[in-house]
Amino acid sequence: MGGCFSDVRGGKDAVGGALPRPTEPNAKNDGAHNDAIEFFYREHGAYPLFTQLELSFSASKLLDLDVTSKSDPMVVVYLKKNDGKLEELGRTEVILNNLNPVWIQKVSVAYQFEMVQNLIFRVYDVDTQYHNVPVKTLNLRDQEFLGEGSCVLSEIVTKQNRSLTLTLKGKNGHGGLRNFGTLTVHAEETIASRSAVEIKFRCAHLDNKDLFSKSDPFLRISRTVETGGSIPICKTEVVDNNLNPTWKPLCLSMQQFGSKDTPLVIECFDFNSDGNHVLIGKLQKSVADLEKLFKEKSGVNFFIPSSRADHEKVLKGQLFVDQFCEKEQFSFVDYISSGFELNFMVAVDFTGSNGDPRKPESLHHIDPYGRLNSYQQAITEVGQVIQFYDADKSFPAWGFGGRTANGTVSHCFNLNGNASESEVVGVEGIMAAYANALRNVALSGPTLFGQVVNRAAEIAASSLSSNNNKYYVLLIITDGILTDLQETKDALVRASNLPLSILIVGVGNADFKQMEILDADNGQRLESSTGRIATRDIVQFVPMRDVQSGQISVVQGLLEELPGQFLSYMRSMDIKPLTFNAAAQASTA
Amino acid sequence: MAASSRTLEITVISAENLKLDRKPIKKNASVTVRTDTNSQFRTTEMETEGGSYPRWNEKLVLDMPTHSRSITVEVQCKTSYGVRTIGTASIPASDFVGGYVPEGYLHFLSYRLRDHMGERNGIINISVRMKVPEMYACSSSTTSSHSKMGFPAAGNNNSGGGVAIGVPVWYGAYQKNY
Repeated sequence: MGGCFSDVRGGKDAVGGALPRPTEPNAKNDGAHNDAIEFFYREHGAYPLFTQLELSFSASKLLDLDVTSKSDPMVVVYLKKNDGKLEELGRTEVILNNLNPVWIQKVSVAYQFEMVQNLIFRVYDVDTQYHNVPVKTLNLRDQEFLGEGSCVLSEIVTKQNRSLTLTLKGKNGHGGLRNFGTLTVHAEETIASRSAVEIKFRCAHLDNKDLFSKSDPFLRISRTVETGGSIPICKTEVVDNNLNPTWKPLCLSMQQFGSKDTPLVIECFDFNSDGNHVLIGKLQKSVADLEKLFKEKSGVNFFIPSSRADHEKVLKGQLFVDQFCEKEQFSFVDYISSGFELNFMVAVDFTGSNGDPRKPESLHHIDPYGRLNSYQQAITEVGQVIQFYDADKSFPAWGFGGRTANGTVSHCFNLNGNASESEVVGVEGIMAAYANALRNVALSGPTLFGQVVNRAAEIAASSLSSNNNKYYVLLIITDGILTDLQETKDALVRASNLPLSILIVGVGNADFKQMEILDADNGQRLESSTGRIATRDIVQFVPMRDVQSGQISVVQGLLEELPGQFLSYMRSMDIKPLTFNAAAQASTA
Repeated sequence: MAASSRTLEITVISAENLKLDRKPIKKNASVTVRTDTNSQFRTTEMETEGGSYPRWNEKLVLDMPTHSRSITVEVQCKTSYGVRTIGTASIPASDFVGGYVPEGYLHFLSYRLRDHMGERNGIINISVRMKVPEMYACSSSTTSSHSKMGFPAAGNNNSGGGVAIGVPVWYGAYQKNY
């Protein structure tokens, strides 16, 4: 199915500076520093064995697969795991009609010093509509494959200019006679920062570059890098037919622009649907300069670099800053250290699929020589993390899918055997309650999460009456195959606008496909049977076998999405850290 | 003292993937919110920039009668052939009232839109807050508690006998089986 037409509207979209939906956390690959993990290690006296990097991409001489126009390329980045499976790390945006693209959207990856990280880059020609569509929901099967490259992450990092150029090949590494072009990957460390600026740009008297109408201008902002050259950080949307355009406000984080004094290159282009945008003019200003332009309400002229190296032509066209506003975006650790509490709850799977506990193959088998079984290992490893973040170390603990003493199967029974109080103290408390439950509860079924999720949601919702500085995390430890996926989706959707996250830890070797659907990392929001859709993604899934094989530490697995989910809740409800007071608010205005 | 209706603040935030005749719409989408008794409705402005992913961020205020069970959200598009309905979603009152969540909580909700044939057609994102009656409000901040009411607050009153606080009659049933 040859792609004939490019999505021109998609090519006119803004990239890199947009304001996200209120309840959407910054996407996994926005370069946000995972300070929750670093905080954990630092408090234990250790330093994290990884550093957060941002990868930027450009390519040249890509294959042209569109019939009446050029390819619309996008890069997808994968990590090849030890078992050969590919895990998608992120995607760039789609660039219109360009065989030598320079992408703006960065992909974030944690560079682990002591591990070999095999990265695979695949370039696709996007044939479906992508105007305003979140890039991660684009179905790769509908797109055309342009080429693939691979390398080990350390190869990029150890080069002096931190850039690596790969020759693209066909699928399965066969180059054949076709020339697929090259892909250049550049890596940079991300800086943890909480500042952002919102800027509204306007231009006046721009030159006309179109023949029968006026220019269709857009701005592209780039940052110079220490190793030379510049990297684009964002572009505005295109304003049609206008020599005095005003664009929608851009929101730039300090991670993107470096510092207020870092020189930024601002270029104004005339958009052309064939991909060859004409440069109208450029100028160089830092964020501090832009703030000055706003305060003085003055404009700055664009110039065109001339063929004669020493001479630049100053143009009539000017850039103005109509709005400039600094915003503070608090980090996860800002909230926690100001007194926000994380409260953990634990639920353990007591269904028959775990195997008869008396048999040694059972996931619930208690070894007489003291070796911990899969559940005990999971509880201990996960426990060190939750004990660190939960101040009172008092956790409600439940089991589900077991037949209790009164003969009925319960999908939410207190693990400690107590009829009214579900709480246990410390990881030792969870272990003791678990061992106790194994003696008194018979494994049964079916595997249903709905009730424990509802119970956790009740607790989270009830806490809102007295204060709003508590956030709840339900840990479900399970062997993985759900009997009723829809029932679980319904419960998760109902809980999705509450201060609650659900971490599902998978033990054993089952196929955890269903858990990946619940984790919704592909952008497909969960839908309940009543037509309600999850407000935000509150689920994260960690298979214990990834932890045991050394691919990720338990801390990283558990804490990967939690800060983002926590922040999406706090920001959408406009809740600030406790130490932030009115006086501080006035001074940043 | 019975309140015959409660004030609802609905902010229509955005919609996703809106189509007419299987093609994404270009512009001029608007949203109408109405009570199930059809006693009141409010409509947003038309959106011209987002195409099939419009963003309104517009607040609509409605009075919802006490016995109302749901509100309806309808997304329309003005085309050269007139105003056409893209899809509707019915929002049960239980999604933003009752349960264990305190009154006045700001609920961020999203729903699947279905067209006149019952087919899926996009998603609508809104936020809903039920205003606490003035005489019982402690403060206007989103974060304060609303527990200082003159009579049992939503959350532990199953009988519903004679105490009308704008909560649907079937609230007690909701509390037990979710």
